[in-house]
Amino acid sequence: MKRRDFLKLSAAAVATGAVSGQASAQAASWPNRPVKLIIPYAPGGASDIIGRPWADALSQAFGQSFIIENRGGAAGMIGVEAASKAAPDGYTFLMTPSAAMSVLPLLRKTPYDPRTSFVPVSRIGDSIAGFVIHPSVGPKTLQDTVAYAKQNPGKIVYGSAGLGSIQHMRIEMLKYRAGVDILHVPYRGAADALNDLLPGNIHMMCEINPLPHVKAGRLHLLSINAPERSPEFPDAPTLTECGYPNSDLPSWYAVWAPKGTPNDIVEKLHAKITEITGTDAMKSKLRQISASPRSSTIAEMAQFLDNDMKNNEDLIKNANIKLE
Amino acid sequence: MELGNVFGNLALGLSVAVSLTNLFWCFAGTVIGTAIGVLPGVGPVATLALLLPITYHLTPEGALIMLAGIYYGAQYGGSTTAILVNLPGESSAVVTCLDGYQMARQGRAGPALAIAALGSFFAGCVATLVITLAAPPLTKVAQQFAAADYFSLMVLGLVFAIVLARGSVIKALGMIFIGMLLGLVGTDVNTGNTRFTFGISYLFDGIGFVPLAMGVFGIAEIISNLTSTERRDLASAKISGLMPSREDLKQSIGPVLRGTALGSFLGLLPGGGATLSSFSAYTLEKKLSRNPEKFGKGAIEGVAAPESANNAASQTSFIPMLTLGIPSNAVMALMIGGMMIHGIIPGPQVMEQKPGLVWGLIVSMWIGNLMLIILNLPLISIWVRMLLVPYRLLAVAILFFCCIGTYSLNNSAEEILFIAFFGVVGYLFIRLNCEPAPLLLGFILGPLMEVYMRRAMLLSRGDPMVFFQRPLSVTFLILAALLLLIVIAPNIRKKREVAFQE
Repeated sequence: MKRRDFLKLSAAAVATGAVSGQASAQAASWPNRPVKLIIPYAPGGASDIIGRPWADALSQAFGQSFIIENRGGAAGMIGVEAASKAAPDGYTFLMTPSAAMSVLPLLRKTPYDPRTSFVPVSRIGDSIAGFVIHPSVGPKTLQDTVAYAKQNPGKIVYGSAGLGSIQHMRIEMLKYRAGVDILHVPYRGAADALNDLLPGNIHMMCEINPLPHVKAGRLHLLSINAPERSPEFPDAPTLTECGYPNSDLPSWYAVWAPKGTPNDIVEKLHAKITEITGTDAMKSKLRQISASPRSSTIAEMAQFLDNDMKNNEDLIKNANIKLE
Repeated sequence: MELGNVFGNLALGLSVAVSLTNLFWCFAGTVIGTAIGVLPGVGPVATLALLLPITYHLTPEGALIMLAGIYYGAQYGGSTTAILVNLPGESSAVVTCLDGYQMARQGRAGPALAIAALGSFFAGCVATLVITLAAPPLTKVAQQFAAADYFSLMVLGLVFAIVLARGSVIKALGMIFIGMLLGLVGTDVNTGNTRFTFGISYLFDGIGFVPLAMGVFGIAEIISNLTSTERRDLASAKISGLMPSREDLKQSIGPVLRGTALGSFLGLLPGGGATLSSFSAYTLEKKLSRNPEKFGKGAIEGVAAPESANNAASQTSFIPMLTLGIPSNAVMALMIGGMMIHGIIPGPQVMEQKPGLVWGLIVSMWIGNLMLIILNLPLISIWVRMLLVPYRLLAVAILFFCCIGTYSLNNSAEEILFIAFFGVVGYLFIRLNCEPAPLLLGFILGPLMEVYMRRAMLLSRGDPMVFFQRPLSVTFLILAALLLLIVIAPNIRKKREVAFQE
């Protein structure tokens, strides 16, 4: 080895050592200023309501404020894009439900790629909903509903929060898997749809907001949208139990870091989120808002996103869903 | 509901609302609400969003009482900027600009502000009573409205828009259509197609109301004031009295009563109902008035009616939220967020499970209205004095607050570019003698109409007869046709007269 090369190598070694040393020093002192959590939807919405207790818990755990910034618009695209372009210094993260990551990029050209623009940090909870039906239709179980829809094609009307929403995917899944014809009407948000569901102008939904009306006995809950039954609605079967396996994917919420965020910081945040997920305080807070705590390792989360996207891709292709 | 029950509920509500902490939150909410209402651009939606995390640490009662206070407080304050500097921060304040600003220019800002506050107070009291006595039955009435009925109601609303105009009917029609076209920008709900967005993701949700309204009203007015060589002070006439005269009050009684009734009902309807209330109250007064030519030139009725209507509507819009958990506008959606933060799932069970919260909130609204009137009446002299600030300074201050306020809506700088753009457009409108109020109504109602029409058609499987088969829908359509005839008839007559003269 020539002397010059040796010098170069050792310089490189020193440099690398310095860099990694710097990185761990960075992680050790992180966070030493407020951390921004971008939520790509309007304040007061489901993602905001799930995000608030988390921002609160993380602020207390780290002794630095975690601030939610709502960047709503374009079905989540604007906020996710802003997060993808943020400096990857560990002071900006994305906190989002799955739709903006695993559905939207498959339907529209997005200025970000969910697989490569972000590093997964942690799942923070699943939102638990289920198919509900208005009693004026008749059926009280999912099987009966499917049978009714087969006999009366196009007669049942289903309302969703909008095209390309998770709820839109749910009904397309049911239509495709059960081979039935149900009319899908997109609304501007779930509140509008509920307003038409209660008097029976439409018949079905799959959202959180009808659940109180199920408890009040005004709507029937047909199924629960999670891998296992909900303690709140123990009588509602999962979709697997109803004969539709692999379709129990809930709407899941997660924290993502812009690509290039130091690994140590991601690990540190991940560990803390996992720790908080296990606490009774967070569990009960999430249960109050119809979410269930869920954590996964960073590798599992990348895998989970990949699976979810593949499932949705198949569904979009098979059910021929398009946003023109 | 039994009468004894009502008193029981009110007593329970009173016990919650007059606790020292809750009185404090009510006061805090109304003060903040008044302040943000006065600041152009900073609306209740942005403020509530900002304060939502703080309410996390309050009791649910305190949190909701404060958030509600901000909301109706902002309705009070919003009229202030509309009257003083022609800046509508909310869609409901647009019509207040028409006569309120003219009154201010004639030196009658004081009476305009006072009648707005008094009308709002009265409307607030009545609407609170309506919520107390009739929330559940009114919820059932509101649920009678299906997509087809909403569509026909919006058609009626658009006909109102023509009546709003002072000058030529043709120009008003033109402005309505421009407004509707601007409203088309954005993502189509039914197909997901993006229209007139030029690939800019900011435009995917359409043009914002605030930048458009501030631009065509406020900024255009500033440009126009600065280009004219006349005396630039806003109050060109001498300020004559702070309080309304006996004559003013007499003229306002009818409009306030009718505005309150109209607002109380329209506020119940989610999706555009509350917006329609101030427009329709104004139209009604103009039609009923013996001298409609006064409207748009500083008629006190033109301030009293819409201000009462929008305050009544802002209170009754709580009804669908309290009884069903359905938000009728963006502010209510945030209130629901505020409830959920405290683990209260909004829905029909809230009234039974949390009577203290619901009735405490309702009683606090009345207390809040009382606080607002005590707060606002003495403030009037300060606001009026603000008009004496040299215009070159005032104009800069208005622009400054507009920019901050609009930026705070979405944390996006694009909004400010839009204000600038619409300011120039609005100036052109002024030069062309085209009025912006019909444009804004077209802008608000056009997209709603489209959504309701297409939803109704989807639900009827493409049968347009649905608009004529539903009794509510057909009633609105007939009313719209009649009103249109009334509007057009004098024009035809006038043309005839002109023809005869020649």
